[in-house]
Amino acid sequence: MKFFKRTDIVIIAVILLVSLASWIIYDHLVKDISVKAEIYYYSELVETVELDRGEERTFSIPQNPKVVFHLDEDGGIAFIASDCPDKVCVNTGRIHRVGEYAACLPNGIIMKIVPKGERNEDDADIIVGY
Amino acid sequence: MAGYMVEKNILGNLSKTQVTVLTSLILAVALVLAVVENMLPPPPIPVPGVKFGLSNIAVMYALFFLGWEKSYVIALLKGGFAFITRGAVAGALSLAGGMLSVTVMLLLLVLLREKISYLSISIFGAVSHNIGQFFVIILLYTGMNLLPYLPILLVSGVIAGIVTSTLLRFILPAFKRLV
Repeated sequence: MKFFKRTDIVIIAVILLVSLASWIIYDHLVKDISVKAEIYYYSELVETVELDRGEERTFSIPQNPKVVFHLDEDGGIAFIASDCPDKVCVNTGRIHRVGEYAACLPNGIIMKIVPKGERNEDDADIIVGY
Repeated sequence: MAGYMVEKNILGNLSKTQVTVLTSLILAVALVLAVVENMLPPPPIPVPGVKFGLSNIAVMYALFFLGWEKSYVIALLKGGFAFITRGAVAGALSLAGGMLSVTVMLLLLVLLREKISYLSISIFGAVSHNIGQFFVIILLYTGMNLLPYLPILLVSGVIAGIVTSTLLRFILPAFKRLV
């Protein structure tokens, strides 16, 4: 078996094309949906943030003041500080599209973007362990 | 089933005990690679769990040279190791990714045999590892959508596949001297 074949380039190109296409399709699908961000603390919805008001603020939830969120004027929201060791939540960066999420599992905080005016039937009841 | 094996003579030359020892050696390599990878700073990618999957090198080696049963065992024990050291979620992620990735690589090897390259196998292995992990994330945090993350999973899979197959290329001669 060879390490590399010319067909590999085709395979890589196809994979890259598929990812580009799904990016564009998804962007197009969710373009007009107005969204809000929901912040969960151990599976309990503790804060809902409206994203399309053009306001900018930095806040944290009462359950854990060490985790800081930032909402920007363009309707994006991000974790900007956390005391967790891995900083996955901060590295996630700004999120703004339906279905995107950012999670700080060590602190049990999950933030996700959902369509406005809908409560999802299959929202998590409980999240166990990390 | 063993017909796909790239270098089946290796197993033929070894006693059962030697095969067992070799398998546990490869498992140890997989665990060390996983630990080393966790010590590296995480890549600045907005999806938790996206990594190079260096320990996939060991799993691939097992698949190529020790047979599919051994590589499933290694993927399973690797998941168990993640469970013990990093908790239930990490264990489930590792297990789902490992199982799906071994299954996909095995199917490709059985179906395409010599027609496929190490590079393609490792790309598909890495992509399916990411997707397997992502299904667990979807199960845990329902309401999540695969589509916005698909591009990241695919592209990072391609990069990880290129990295692991390049490393395998340099490590393979050493592995061959082992037996």
